[in-house]
Amino acid sequence: MHMAGRPLLDIARFELPAASCTVLSGRNGAGKTTLLKIAAGLLRPDALRIRSDGAILDWAAGRSVLRTHSIYMHQHAYMFDRDVSANVAYGLRRAGVSASECAKAVRTALEWAGLDHLAARNARHLSGGERQRLALARARVLSPEVLLLDEPTTNMDEEATGQSLFLIRRMVSEGMGIVVASHDRRIVGQLADRHLNLADGALHEVDGGARPDADAPAYASGGEVL
Amino acid sequence: MGEILRATGDALILLLSGQPELWDIIGISFSVSLRAILISAPLAILAAFFLAVGRFPGRRVLISTFNSLMAVPAVVVGLTVYLLLSRSGPMGDLELLFTQSAMIIGQIVLAFPLLVAMCHAALQAAERDAWETAITLGAHPWQAMFTVMYEVRFALLAAVIAGFARIIAEVGCSMMVGGNILGVTRNIPTAIALETSKGEFVQGIALGIVLLFLALFLNFALSFMQGKGELS
Repeated sequence: MHMAGRPLLDIARFELPAASCTVLSGRNGAGKTTLLKIAAGLLRPDALRIRSDGAILDWAAGRSVLRTHSIYMHQHAYMFDRDVSANVAYGLRRAGVSASECAKAVRTALEWAGLDHLAARNARHLSGGERQRLALARARVLSPEVLLLDEPTTNMDEEATGQSLFLIRRMVSEGMGIVVASHDRRIVGQLADRHLNLADGALHEVDGGARPDADAPAYASGGEVL
Repeated sequence: MGEILRATGDALILLLSGQPELWDIIGISFSVSLRAILISAPLAILAAFFLAVGRFPGRRVLISTFNSLMAVPAVVVGLTVYLLLSRSGPMGDLELLFTQSAMIIGQIVLAFPLLVAMCHAALQAAERDAWETAITLGAHPWQAMFTVMYEVRFALLAAVIAGFARIIAEVGCSMMVGGNILGVTRNIPTAIALETSKGEFVQGIALGIVLLFLALFLNFALSFMQGKGELS
């Protein structure tokens, strides 16, 4: 993947396994956001092969697969200028789910996230922690296979971070594959089933929080997303 | 001075009396300008959207062009449309000159660059995150487009109000392509010009009061919309 004329990512494989949490660490500017957005089907890389259900797809065909199966969350999740319920219902309504089905799903999701008392409030008036729980509920209600979280705990206090980590752990146990880009040691320690470090355009497996493994995957000009 | 004050008093009485000729003129103004706005606004918003998100060669030139076209004086637009619609012009066969349709065409040409420029600014200010969030949550691109437009709805509404304010009050274009025919193409600004030139101050002042209040109201609405747009 090249960006602004500079080679940014040169990754051989990027696996996204189900029911587990992968932490992606790396310096600012290393390309974590870029990688996550490519995996979400939001950014177009130079070369990409996607293996899905045994078939190998290029970007044109694979993009919709990526978009359907994964959801990306920005560092500061974008809140639509409408109330909390409407935000949670957004994806369902776009998919054509009926209003009554929607309402049920939204109610359940808001209870799950502990936001039911805020259902009618404009989402822009929520605190940072509440916004994030709303974004998590908004994604979870669509049952994606993969959730890509970009630095979720930056600028959040202890309590809000704890609440988010709790919800993320629940989603992992519900079978979702989660990738979290983060520097936060709490996330690495409490959530990570696997830890990858992104440096100089390549991914290195990190064991147990120690220094990166020296056996890096082979460089290639393309990448695979599984 | 006394004569003008008396004329103003008579003008208010004239307005309240509901004289058909007067309200005819006001009706034509609204009818023509509303139709012009209803046609040009959706097209302009769509054009502005593609200018904001598209990546095609000449995009910057196109944006600058629309910004510059805003500065074309109404009378020059009127002259151009007149030449196009006149008998010796390319669209002369349609016999549109001196009809309400000609006025609508002229006002569309007047409003369009302003609408595109302001809507483009509004959509540019919309965060890219809004689009990405919509897409990642499963929206089709056209659904995401409407979502982004909804997110900046107040700024878009402000653009439409500004466009409407421009065309309902202009005289240069309407006069030339409409011909100021009573009951057909005489709207508020052209009527004011005519009555004043005849020395008929009462009618002129009456219509002037209407236009003044309309302009104040539109400006108030515009500020209100822009204020709501900032509140997030």
